[in-house]
Order: sequence, then structure tokens, then C-alpha cells
Amino acid sequence: MTDEFTPTWEDVAHRYGRKIYNFAYRLTGNPDDAADLVQEVLLRVRKGLPSYEPGSFEGWLWRITRNAFLDGIRKKKRRPESALPDGDHHALGSSPSPDEVLASIRLSDNVQAALLKLPYEFREAVVLCDVVGLSYDEIAEAADVPVGTVRSRIHRGRKLLRGMLTWPI
Amino acid sequence: MADLTFDPDEHGELFSAYLDGQLSPDEVTVVSELLDGDTQAIQEFLSLRNIRTKLRLLPEFEVPAALLPDGHLGDRLSAYLDGELVTLEHRRVTKHIVDCADCRVELQELDRARIAVRSLPGVETTMTTEIPATPVPHRRRRIIAGGIGAAAAAALLVGLAVGGSDDPVFILNDLATRHIARASAEPGFAILPAAIEVAAP
Repeated sequence: MTDEFTPTWEDVAHRYGRKIYNFAYRLTGNPDDAADLVQEVLLRVRKGLPSYEPGSFEGWLWRITRNAFLDGIRKKKRRPESALPDGDHHALGSSPSPDEVLASIRLSDNVQAALLKLPYEFREAVVLCDVVGLSYDEIAEAADVPVGTVRSRIHRGRKLLRGMLTWPI
Repeated sequence: MADLTFDPDEHGELFSAYLDGQLSPDEVTVVSELLDGDTQAIQEFLSLRNIRTKLRLLPEFEVPAALLPDGHLGDRLSAYLDGELVTLEHRRVTKHIVDCADCRVELQELDRARIAVRSLPGVETTMTTEIPATPVPHRRRRIIAGGIGAAAAAALLVGLAVGGSDDPVFILNDLATRHIARASAEPGFAILPAAIEVAAP
């Protein structure tokens, strides 16, 4: 995406805050880490915007997000403490039946647990593609790897997840 | 291309990229041929599509409002109550309300006030509303406005009591107070024409 203007950090917060939060949450399984990442990214965006040159804003933003996330991991070096926050139970859509809610919770619990077992490179590629919704080009730019590597990581990540999860096709 | 044989290790990656819409036209042709009657290829394709779907259906979390600058909903709450938000915005606001206790409380208060106002009985005006030849003194107009404001507040209270809301008095008292305050503070704010005569104290 090529932007003609530079957004304010408030714009970035409102437009991308949720995506950044979900990215971090699905990578860590930890709502506190996700909140920490949002704060850190917005801080870096605020500092970095004056020197940002209009171009691929999403590429710039996700590179910052990824670097902030990896820096956080290096600092903490600890494993996730819980698979899902209580809030997960609320974001399921309008008026589902109790059985549907329970099934969704079980499924998302399982998928989240499996995600956390993936090697980082695969997990990151899958989350950026399937949770955040970036294209392969955007993921390649954020992760600073060739597009072919992104394609391979996404496929291998999904295959590994498939091996960990069992459900009817 | 007719004797193309499916190999999971070689072609599986093409299926994943196809599902993501990331293939070149030539690669799309290859995928189409692989899926043409090959049961193993179709099985692999469906299996990959299934895992991708599950990933994309993971519940999405709302970022805690406290992390964002002025993260509350403001006047979007009233638009939400009135069904004036488009689908995506409606969904976003719904999610925020689920996560944000402050906005939930504000929404409930707005809803009660909205119900109260909508349940007020219709009033037929029988009074003459002629414009006076000379301007009404400012002091007197304020008294009139205040008096009408108090009457409106009383009407609101009655209306809400009829409506049978759970906890109407607090909300309506608050509304009435604000209404009277506004009527008293703003010279140009009058509910009824100034020609209505009210005995000066």
C-alpha cells in the first residue's frame, strides 16, 4: 500500500491498534504481553513518524511491530501463562447458542494452543496472513525475507497445525 | 500438462498460496489441472482449506480502550442505539461495548433516556403564540424559560414513570437538571415562544 500522506499516531492507534493487539495475542497467548506490545509499538510509531517518508506505511508499521515483539521476547524470555483470556468468550458474534459458544471456545482454545507450539517463523507468517490479513508481499517486507520464503512458511505452518489438530473436513 | 501427477510435497504449497489468492495465472492453471479428478489432490486441498478457515475464524479481540487515545465511543453510542451505524462500524462498536464497562453504563443511560423521551405523550397546543410588538425584557424571558424548563422536567419524569423503566428517577432527574441549567444559562434557548405570558414573581 502506498500512502500519499503520513497519518498521525492517533490515527495509527485507532486504525491498527486492534490488529497489533491480535497479532501479539495470537503469537503469545497472553493478553498482558499483547497490551504491552500495543503500547510499545505506538510509542515507537510516535517517535518514528517525524522521520517516516511516505511509502509503504503498512510495511513500515509491521516491521516496527515485529521488531518490538522480538525485542520484548528477548527481554522476557518466558513462556505464555494462559491459553486464552476471559474476553475471548465475548467476541464470537451475535446471539450464538450456548452450545455454539462452547464449541467455539473449545476450537479456539485448541487452535491457539497449537499455534503456540509452532516454530516462531511459521507462527509469525501464519498469524500475519490469517489473523492480521497481510498479503505475502507485505509479510515479506515486514519480516525482511523473500516472498517465496513467506509462501513456504505459511504452508508448512498450516501443515504442522493440521497435524496437531483433528476435526472432520 | 495432462500427465501432471500430484505430489503433496511439491504441490501442497501451491494449494496454500492458491487459497490465499497469491498465485500467478500460470500457477493457477497448474492447480486447476491437479484438482481435476485427482482424489488425493482434492483431499489435500480441502484439508488445507479447512485449517485456513479455522485460523481465520479465530475470535478477534478488541484492543483495551485504555491503550488508545480517547478510546471511548462518544456520540457513536447514540447512533448505535438509533440503528444508524453501518454494519462494520456496528460490529466494531458492539465489540467495544462488550469490552468497555464505561461505555456499557453510558449506553444503558442513553437507552433509558431515549425510551423516556419516546414514551412522552403527544401534546396539543391550544395556546395563542402571537409575537409581541415589543421585545420581552431579558430577565423575564429567563424566568419563563426556567419555568418551562421545570415543566418539561416534570413532564419527563411523568413520562418515564409511565414507561415503567427499572430506575428512571435518577436518569430523568439528571436530564431535568441539565435541561433547566441550559435553559437558564443560554439567553437564546427557549422551549416555547416568548409571547406566552407568565406572571412575574
